[in-house]
Parts: sequence; structure tokens; C-alpha cells
Amino acid sequence: MRDSANRLLMVLAAVVAVLVIAIVVVSVVLIAAGSSGGSSASPAKSNSGPPAAAGNAFRLGGSDPLTLDPAQSFDVDSARYIVEIFGGLVQLDKNLKVIPDIAERWDVSQPDAQGQVTYTFHLRKDVAFSRSHRRVTAADFKYSWERALNPKTNSPVADTYLGDIVGAHAYEDGQASDVSGIKVVDDSTLQVTIKQAEPYFLDKLTYTVADVVNKDQVEKNPRGWTLAPDGTGPFILAKYDVGQQLILEANSSYHLGKPAVPEVRFDLAGGGGLTQYQAGEVDITGVGINDIESIRDPNNPLHQQFQESTALGVFYLAFNTQVAPFDDPKVREAFALAVDRDKIASVVLKDIAKPADRILPPGMPLRSDAVKGLSYDPARAKQLLQESRYNGKLPRLQLYTSGAGANADVETQAIVQQLKDNLGVDIEIQQVEPATFLQDAKRGRYAMWVAGWSADYPDPEDFLDVLFYSKSKQNDFRYSNAQVDDLLVRARTEQDKAKREQLYAQAEQLIVNDAPVAPLTYDADNALVKPYVKGFFLPGMIIPWLRYISIQRG
Amino acid sequence: MQGLAPYVVRRLLWAIPVLFAVSVVTFALGRYGPGDPIQVRAPRADPQTIERIREHQGLNDPVPVQYMRWLGRFLRGDFGDSYRFPDRTVKSLILPRLKITIQLNVVALMVVFGLGIPLGVWAATRRGSWQDPLTIGTFLLFSAVPTVVAIPLLQWLFALKLGWFPATGWSGLLSKAAVLPIIALSVGGIAGVARFMRATTLEVLGQEFVRVARAKGLPESAVLRRHVSRNALLPMVTVIGLSLVGVLEGSFFVETLFGIPGIGAFVFQEVQGRDYDVLMAITLIIATAYIVANVVVDLSYAWIDPRIRLGESAAA
Repeated sequence: MRDSANRLLMVLAAVVAVLVIAIVVVSVVLIAAGSSGGSSASPAKSNSGPPAAAGNAFRLGGSDPLTLDPAQSFDVDSARYIVEIFGGLVQLDKNLKVIPDIAERWDVSQPDAQGQVTYTFHLRKDVAFSRSHRRVTAADFKYSWERALNPKTNSPVADTYLGDIVGAHAYEDGQASDVSGIKVVDDSTLQVTIKQAEPYFLDKLTYTVADVVNKDQVEKNPRGWTLAPDGTGPFILAKYDVGQQLILEANSSYHLGKPAVPEVRFDLAGGGGLTQYQAGEVDITGVGINDIESIRDPNNPLHQQFQESTALGVFYLAFNTQVAPFDDPKVREAFALAVDRDKIASVVLKDIAKPADRILPPGMPLRSDAVKGLSYDPARAKQLLQESRYNGKLPRLQLYTSGAGANADVETQAIVQQLKDNLGVDIEIQQVEPATFLQDAKRGRYAMWVAGWSADYPDPEDFLDVLFYSKSKQNDFRYSNAQVDDLLVRARTEQDKAKREQLYAQAEQLIVNDAPVAPLTYDADNALVKPYVKGFFLPGMIIPWLRYISIQRG
Repeated sequence: MQGLAPYVVRRLLWAIPVLFAVSVVTFALGRYGPGDPIQVRAPRADPQTIERIREHQGLNDPVPVQYMRWLGRFLRGDFGDSYRFPDRTVKSLILPRLKITIQLNVVALMVVFGLGIPLGVWAATRRGSWQDPLTIGTFLLFSAVPTVVAIPLLQWLFALKLGWFPATGWSGLLSKAAVLPIIALSVGGIAGVARFMRATTLEVLGQEFVRVARAKGLPESAVLRRHVSRNALLPMVTVIGLSLVGVLEGSFFVETLFGIPGIGAFVFQEVQGRDYDVLMAITLIIATAYIVANVVVDLSYAWIDPRIRLGESAAA
């Protein structure tokens, strides 16, 4: 037992044992210290400023994009990068107004005999693709939009945003070799004819599917071109390591002015949370429900770096209006009045979302103040349930929600508790795996479920018409009100803004009263922003915002 | 070793029906199960558009037809395209992630066996003293802590309090970010390997040839090294061989909690996204690895212990 091999083993084991004991001792000591003395180490770090190595790059957290092809993008994670790399005829500015991008200006014709309207876009002559430096012409737009509409592209969004163009459906169905409503007049003039005078057509064109792509690049490498996309946006994709980092470089020849930050680095692995922000690894971060109270405390040094704003999204309890017991509007109304949304927003969600008493979120253009929102009225709710054809007695109900955890989220649990307290209804929460949930909700298999909607373009049509028009494909509530339908159809082509706002107000009021959904909360965004980051704002939607940012240290 | 070549060929031929069965079952589970990849990717697309895309991507064909089409492409070396990542091929999605998972797990396995084996042998030689239960007990204690609990503790201690390593993220194997994940991945395994090694060592120590070796007057170190360890290691070959497969699977918890872009965390997202072809590819890679690992384990037995005759035992 006193020989070399055995001694080696002894040494090895001793080293491990010492390490293990050290870890145990240190953790015990630190746990004890942490619980008695409170945390002191981490906030101090945040004041030490950014590491010198960061340079002038703007650093933030991010997620992997599912796609970098503008025609395929459907999700926030992809759109966030695509709007910076690509561009279209128009874009949304800070206030969600449509502004010129590649189109310098445009003329709109009067509706013709069939109600069709022609937009004539005059393109800037100084726009080039960022990598190939080839000039962008009207033909590039015709190619890009036809590519998006081509069934071979499998775009999930092209029909929604470009389907209003005359001839788009014929082309999608393979009955035409091109889209007749898109005409290339000359290199810098594009004529687009749409089926009816929709005031929100330009808003739709701000969606990524209407962005211009470089035909030469796409056709040369159809399966891999987005690895080094050749767009016209303010930034160029410089590097993308899956799951690790995505780096955008300023496009120095960007036609709307070179971005102030030379480089934007998205950390895809770390997630860019509060820890990374405090460690100076990212320049902005969002704050979650667990940290929000300490950040809102004015004594917290981070408080002054904090911003909040509403976003264009709403979260609601959805009802299938064709099945019992929600086929009775009184039951739906009772449910809508029995939910204390103020309490849910402020107590349960700690104000990271705002209470929603109607459909359209604040900040939405043409949102009329004339709409009377829902109030919290448990007494009236109980009475309505009594008056309903179910005489106040409801069977045990199921509330479906998308998720995979052991427990449903706190918000859903709070709703169920409130409905039980105020209406005496027993509700069982059924968590369904997301893919199955989507399919079943569409097929009408649920009587009641939790869902949400966020803006694709800043127009009430995107909420009221898309969700509640009786023939809309997104109307999962199977809600049908002839009066609402009539108002929505008229609003589609109403050119007078004030009248349009009024039509939507009337429609929204009817919808709120009929309660196919019980609105719960509006989305909100928040951010901690380092003091040296200038020009930051919370737009409430995905827009190309990075070009407004600059980094000014010291 | 005469029967070796036919043995290997036979075993590898068996792989074909096994892989076929695995692919049929995986394929059927995906297609007949609920959910639809297009719907998940584009939850707000209208049903007509979804139908058009399904039709165009062949998802509306009868499942056997879809399977044959998939098989045809697969046999030509084409793993197909992703439904969830529309501009990516399956290969380009899997390979970078697989690379990271393999790097991380190979190092973790080296730590596991590099520490576990000597520890087990040492503990066995210390049987009856306080050192044996202390070492094994300490490591068991660590392995008893679930990963989901251990990881936040590790992050809190080493990242937030001490600031030695980043809490999350991945910037290559040779970076500080890899240290905590490797610890989290290996701690549990060390205890298991040490205990296993201790048990087999004790068994060998009690055997007659060890007594003979000692009686011959061999120094104890030589007894341990030449006679005990070698024999005690034999059962460990199976453990090592099959652990190697785990290297490809990755760990969902470790990768998710540390934000490592590996295959473990990815598979979970892909199941949720119903990305059929990606899941098929990953399943088949892992199934193939199991088959190969089993063959390699058997072969190494024969190589380590010439008394084992593979060809004969398989034929018998």
C-alpha cells in the first residue's frame, strides 16, 4: 500500500475531496451571508460601466430567427432582424406612421368603375442592394412580390398582405403567369392596382413580405441565400453563429442615412437578461415579472434607466359562441364582467401588462375614446348569469391554455379563481401542448380558451375585421353579427379618417357588448437602457429602429 | 478471432431492419399525432394558405406515400428541409448543434471516467476505513441533487457571487462559459462510475488469482494495476460504450438552463414545432449510434479478453 500507483490514486482522490469540501463550505458560508446581510454585490457591478472592449457596438439579447427570408417571416424573432436587413417601398416610423423607404413618393388614383385603385410608386434612384451594390428597380419589386405569392415559395403570409392586389389570386392558383396588378412602367416607376380602396394598403406594405429581395442571389442559391442576404435595409448581416450570436453591420450607403451605430451585436445564447445587463454584457434588456418591483423602486439605482410603454397587443378569454354555455350572450357578458382585470394587471402581473377593457389597445391609430369599455361588476355578472337560459347554473367547464408546465400561468389561475368566486362556476384549467392547442382552437374544439392578438400593421382593421368579421378565417369564436359585419365592410373602404374612426368605434362597441371575447390585458413593453445609449424608444411593434440608436460614452 | 469479420457483417446487417423499424415508428408517431408543422410556424395564417402549403409540401399525401418519399431522399443522402426553419436544410440545422453537444459531452465524459474510475478503485482498497464511505457518500450526495436545482445553485455561486464564470452563454469549448456546464454534466456521473468501479474492484479483489499474485510476492501496486484493475475494468467497457451514445443526445436541462445551443435543447423545440424531418434525422443518428456502440462494445470485449469468442457465441 505504500507504492507509487496507489499514492497517485490517493493524491487524485485527495484533490477531488478537497475541491468538493471547499465548494460545500463556500456555498454554506455564502448562503448564510446572503440570507442575513442581503445582496450587495450585484448592484454595485452595474455602476462600473461597460467593459472597454465593447467599443461602440450596440449590444442586446436576442433569439435565433426561424428564417431570414422576408417572404417567410411570420414571427417576432425573425421579423426583428429582417426589418433591419431588408427594406420595401415604405416603412413605419417611430410613431407607427407610414413613411417613404425605397419609394420616394406615390400617387393614388380615384376608384374606377369596379372600385379598383391604382398606386403609382416613384422609386428613389439611389437605392442599391447592400452587398452586390446593384441598383434596385421597379422590376425587383415585381419579382419579389411574385416570388412571395408563388405557391412554390410556401409563404404563409403573402396572401394576407399582397392578396389584395388585382390578379394575385389568379397567380397563386396557377391561372396566370404573372400578377396583372403589378406593372413595371420604367426602372423607377411601379404601378400597383388593388381590388378596392383600402386605406390600410400602405400599412400592409410595411410588412416584411413586401420587402425587396435580389433575384440574382435568390435564384443562384435558393436553399442558402439567406445566410448572407443582399437587402436594402440600414444594416447588413455580418455574422450569424446559430445559438450564439448575430452581428449586424451598418450599411454605409443606406439611402435614408447611415445608422449611427457601426455594429449591433445580438447575444443569442445568454438571452440578454438582467444579470447580463448588470454585468455590462448588454446595453438594454427587458425586465420580467420577478424583478419588476425592485426596478420600479425609485431608490434602486437602475430605476432611472427604466422605461415602459404599451404595445399593440391584447390578451383575452375567448369563447366559442356556437356551443353551450357560451351560445348565450348573457353568459359571455357575465364572464366578461366577473373578471377583475385591474387586479389581474396590477396584483397578479405587477403591471407588466395593462388592464384591457375593450379590444383595441391604446396607441392604435383611429382608436376612438367614444367606446365604453367593460367594468368589473360582479353583482351584475351574477344577475346576468341568472337571467341566462342556464338559470345561473353552469356545468363544470374547461379553460384551455397553451403551455407545457406543471402549473398554468398565474394569470389564468387568477381568472379561474375570480370566476369561481363571483359566479360560482367550477373551471378546470387544461394546459395543451402549443401545436395541438392551435389546431384544436381553430377547429372549434374548445368552448373557452385563453388567446391573444398583436398588430401586424397599425390599423383597427387588423384587430376588429380580422378577428370578428363573420367570414374572417381568424374568427375562431365563430362570432357573427350582421350589424358588425356591415360596419366593418364599410370601414374597409371609407376614405375619410374621422368617419372611419367612427365606424370602427360603433363596431367595437357592439363587439365589446356581445363579448365573443372577454378582454383581459394589453401588452406592454419595458426596457432598462444604459445612459450612454441615445435615441432609444419602445415602438410597440416591430419596426426598423436600430438606425435611430447611437452610443455616446463619456 | 476467425469468426470476427462475419460477426461484424452480420451485426451491421441487422442494423438495417432495426433502423427501418425505428424510422417507420418515428415517422408514424409524428404524422398521426396531433398538431401540424405549418400551423405551428404560422399560427395566424389563414386555413386556405396553410392548406396550400401543406399540399405543396406533400403533407396531405397518404402517410405511407410520404414515408416512401422521405425514404427515397434519405437513401440518397438528403435529410430534407425543415418545416419550422423554412430557409434551412435539416443538415445545416443539426450539424452545428451536434458539434457543440458532442464537444461538451466528450469532455464531461472524460471527467466522469477520469475521476470516477480511480476513485472507485481507491475506495475499494479502503474498504472498512472511513475514507471509502466518505468519498462515495460525498459524490452520491452531489448526484442526488437534481440538475434543475444544481444548475441555478452553480450559476448563483460561481457567476453571480464569485463572478468566475458567465452564468449562461456559449462561446466555444475553450472558454470560461464551458466550465459550469461541464461540472453540471459530470457530477452525477462520477458517483455512478465510482460506485460501479468500486463494486467490480471488490469482486475481483476477493478472487483467487489476486491471492495468488499477492502470494507470489508481487508488490501491491502491481497486483492492483496488472491483475485487479484490468479485470475490474472489463464490465466498465459496456458502461463507457453506451455512455458514448449519450454524447449525441445532449441534455435538455443543462443546455436550456445554460443557454447552450446544443442538440438537447433543440430537440425539445423541434418536437413542439412538429419539425418532422429534423426529428427523423436526429432519431436515426442516435439509433445508428446505439447500434454501432453495441458492436464496438462487443468487439472490445473480445479484444480485451481473448477468451470471449464473438462469432461462436453469436452463432450458438
